[in-house]
Amino acid sequence: MQLPSAQVAVLETASADEAQSVDALASATDLPPETVTGAVFELEEAGLVAISEAVDETITLTEEGAEYAADGLPETRFYEAALEAGADDDPVEMGPVIGRSGLEGPQVNIALSNYARKGYGVIDSGEVTADPEADPTADAERAALETLAERDEEVDADSLEADGGVLEQLERRGLLERRETTVRSVTLTEAGVTELMAGVSAAETVGQVTPDLLTSGDWREAEFTEYNVEADAEVVDGGNVHILRQTAERVKDTLVGMGFQEMEGPHADADFWINDCLFMPQDHPARTHWDRFALERPTHIEHLPGDLVERVERAHREGVGPDGEGYNSPWDEDFARAIALRGHTTSLSARYLSGEQIGDLEPPQRYFSVEKVYRNDTLDPTHLLEFFQIEGWVMAEDLSVRDLMGTFEEFYAQFGIHDIEFKPHYNPYTEPSFELFGTHPTTGELVEIGNSGIFREEMLEPLGVECDVMAWGLALERLLMLMYGFEDIRDIHGTLCDLELLRDTEVTY
Amino acid sequence: MPTVEIDPDELRELTGHEDKSDDDLKTDLFGLGLEYEGETEDGEFELEFAPDRLDRLSVEGVARSLRYQYGDARGVSVPSTNSPDWTIAVDSSVPDERPYVTGAVIRGVDLDDDALDSLIQLQEKLHATMGRKRAKGAIGIHDLTMLRGAPATEGNPTIEYVGVEPDGDRFVPLDADREMTPADVLEDHQTGKTYADLVSAYDRYPAIYDDIGLFSFPPVINGRRTEVSTDSRDLFVEMTGTDQWTIDRMLNIVCYALAARGATIEEVTIEYGDDESANADSNGSRRVAGGRELVRPDFSTKTKTVTHDRIETILGIELSSEEVIDLAERSGLEATLVGDGDGAAEDRAYEVTIPPYRVDVLHPLDVIDDLGRAYGFNDLEPRYPDVGTIGGRHERSRLENAVRTRLVGLGFQDLLNFHMISEAENFERMNLERGGSGAGKADSDDTTGSAETVYGAGEPATIKGPYSEDYTMLRTWVTPSLLMVLENNTHRRYPQDLAEIGFHAEVDDGENTGVSEGRAVAAVLARHDAAFEDAKARLQALVKSFGGDLETPPTDHPAYIDGRTAAVVIDGVEVGVIGEVHPKVLVEHDLEVPVAGFEFDLEALR
Repeated sequence: MQLPSAQVAVLETASADEAQSVDALASATDLPPETVTGAVFELEEAGLVAISEAVDETITLTEEGAEYAADGLPETRFYEAALEAGADDDPVEMGPVIGRSGLEGPQVNIALSNYARKGYGVIDSGEVTADPEADPTADAERAALETLAERDEEVDADSLEADGGVLEQLERRGLLERRETTVRSVTLTEAGVTELMAGVSAAETVGQVTPDLLTSGDWREAEFTEYNVEADAEVVDGGNVHILRQTAERVKDTLVGMGFQEMEGPHADADFWINDCLFMPQDHPARTHWDRFALERPTHIEHLPGDLVERVERAHREGVGPDGEGYNSPWDEDFARAIALRGHTTSLSARYLSGEQIGDLEPPQRYFSVEKVYRNDTLDPTHLLEFFQIEGWVMAEDLSVRDLMGTFEEFYAQFGIHDIEFKPHYNPYTEPSFELFGTHPTTGELVEIGNSGIFREEMLEPLGVECDVMAWGLALERLLMLMYGFEDIRDIHGTLCDLELLRDTEVTY
Repeated sequence: MPTVEIDPDELRELTGHEDKSDDDLKTDLFGLGLEYEGETEDGEFELEFAPDRLDRLSVEGVARSLRYQYGDARGVSVPSTNSPDWTIAVDSSVPDERPYVTGAVIRGVDLDDDALDSLIQLQEKLHATMGRKRAKGAIGIHDLTMLRGAPATEGNPTIEYVGVEPDGDRFVPLDADREMTPADVLEDHQTGKTYADLVSAYDRYPAIYDDIGLFSFPPVINGRRTEVSTDSRDLFVEMTGTDQWTIDRMLNIVCYALAARGATIEEVTIEYGDDESANADSNGSRRVAGGRELVRPDFSTKTKTVTHDRIETILGIELSSEEVIDLAERSGLEATLVGDGDGAAEDRAYEVTIPPYRVDVLHPLDVIDDLGRAYGFNDLEPRYPDVGTIGGRHERSRLENAVRTRLVGLGFQDLLNFHMISEAENFERMNLERGGSGAGKADSDDTTGSAETVYGAGEPATIKGPYSEDYTMLRTWVTPSLLMVLENNTHRRYPQDLAEIGFHAEVDDGENTGVSEGRAVAAVLARHDAAFEDAKARLQALVKSFGGDLETPPTDHPAYIDGRTAAVVIDGVEVGVIGEVHPKVLVEHDLEVPVAGFEFDLEALR
């Protein structure tokens, strides 16, 4: 059989009778130990060798341990100094003994705490006595330290003539380190012997494709080392377009495909464009402080087209057409000039229809935007203070509610929503108006999916539009939640978003 | 959405369809646009109402609409009225801010508990809607037998609408057991406190007197003396407000509801004082001419002329004149053909009569909407309009998309954050001072001067009376939002490389709206080894893709580490900043990894 060269070498060196450690095999084969380890595992997997494991304990001196082996243990040095001071006869004062011993810093405490333990004498009330019978040369700790120091390398614990208690004591004192290592020993299995007898040769395997391999042409003969292709790979997140943006892009693509041009315009705008141009009476409840975000700075728009202001005011006061009636509500230009964050992007529609944004428009036209709107609401799983509104309108010479219905059916069908129902509804700037209901693609419930209607003449006439315009609006987030089944919009849109959700959400298209 | 509570048993009784099941009724109501929302403890339906049909704010009005739907009623119905006996005299002392009054006498009502509840609900809902929380119109309903009219010149009983000094008189208001002055009511009475803002700025408060004394303090509260109970048989309804048309319409809706219960409506004369014309109200010229006398309720109908052609183009179907007239009658309207009934659609038109309880018909289009509802909008066949237009994206929208594609290719997670932010997040937590200026570039030949404002430190557009301390202004730059996302996601995998092409704004007197709005490209790299070079590597790849020439001369910015901050200069124009985020800012956001990032104006890539 053919095997990678390292495995062949290991197989040929291993024996069926005698276990050999990986280190031994490494030196015998002249291969790095990690290569041998890898080969051994591969061979074990193939059933050609058996591995037995044993735990081996080695010991090394710490820096402190080496120092004491050379200079003597602090307690020994203290004992010797005490003897010199004559403490074997009478107690002597401790201070001079310390001075004589040459001990410093923490070593003093180490000496004192071990002095009595080893039976070298007694320390009491600052005086020291020494037991002349004591024999520091017979100290097992000292002997063990010296033995270790002499060998000057890692020492196999079993080869040391010291009992476990002594070693433990020295380890506690931080003078030596004990380390356990697993030693793997390898023997040939019967299958290994059989294969070896049948003949094993080395196959040339390559770890990585290199420039050299390619230019030399060696790749033709190379066999590549096999990977464990089932192993887990590192997690890479990579870049990703925000899920709500993906939905917005899909809406934009759909609308462009249906012949709509994109609008843009100010987020902070005059109430005139946001509400008055839409024939919203100035005392309409939606125009009160609580529903909107009025600005403190700046407060009022600099310029409004004067003739348009006049026509809008007249529509509010008197209505439009011979039979028209206005609202019996106050109208004040200053109120209309106030700046607020737009509550709907119909303000853009008003700007475009008026001709202020890009000049006068001749029918037919289709326009859309997918842009932010701002409404004061309570933040909850389905409501945000700012969200994206899909706004679209069609301008043409006679448009009927059937055209409106047909347009929306086509649009929603692109998102898998069919069987739209049209609930007659009231809206100050459209008539007729409809709430749109559709069947949820997965749950089958009837859910509101938008608002629509034909712009009132009281809105269009002052803007100078002489044909019909039908329009609709829808929250993008609602479409997103319908498409993805998300339950809390705050996980998606805004600074409380959950990166994991954004990274891991399944792509739809 | 506002709701109205309707007792289904009363509905069955008033429509004469005792056999209708609850489910049948719900379906029929949905057809009217009244959506069933739930049920009260007493088994009443809670219905969401459309704010145009305020004549359906009580069971009587809903029953009327159902009768038209069932075909039990057709055309316009106007209750008969008896000639006026009572007069409301308007005194010149009435506050200028609230000059208008209207009223009616109702005789022979049979008010059981349900009927009284319905009347109270109608009053409340009208206050909330047309009455604009009583600011525009307020309703007072009184037991007529408790009123004593002062004999006026012709000997008719008269009550008087006057202005009274805040402490000028005393009466016992509803829900109280002692005499109070109007000022006391605003201070001590629960209802008074609720509505105090409506009148507290007036010099004199509105008040209505009969021969006995003050019995109503509109728009705040009635007196106890004239309180209506189930024993009341004759009622006096008065309404005051800031607009005559509005209160007259509210009165019509109330009168129709009571007439539906078998009551007789009796007119009331309103006499405005002689000096009335001297006052012009704030709204212009709507003020009633002085010395004018009105008779109310005004049940006159109005007409709208609707062309046959317009009906057909809006509904998108062909109809015969007979069908149009039939649809009108089923809507509670009446249509009379004018012009040639057999002629072309363009030559045909209808005079359509609108009943006096309708407040929503401003234009012929509103009539067409009624016809469409009667026809059944959902019976119309949708069709795709035969209108050819060319679609396309806005240039900025295309640019944004192209830049976003490149950012994602460079490994960034695209984000969408709020445009509203707090001053603390936008400035303080970024170590930035509002309106703060940078040190300027030492070797800059920038002619705009050295005291240029630091990127992101411009004057913010601020929200008036913000509702939440988290959203008080529009963000002046985008990076603070990215830091907030990092802060909220420290438990998620790193690296976190985030980018946003986002809206930002600041006050700019040069703009028409006073706000300059822009889009910035902002990106941050949060990872254990994020450094200036990582951010610059990506920035230069991005700028190069768009053919820009990038330079990064050193600059100072308090959000970034000194010596590791540069201005982003594209094609010779300074448009942003790049750097390693200052540890102070990192610690402030509970981040334990370095962050490098950049932000610049999207327009620079155009």
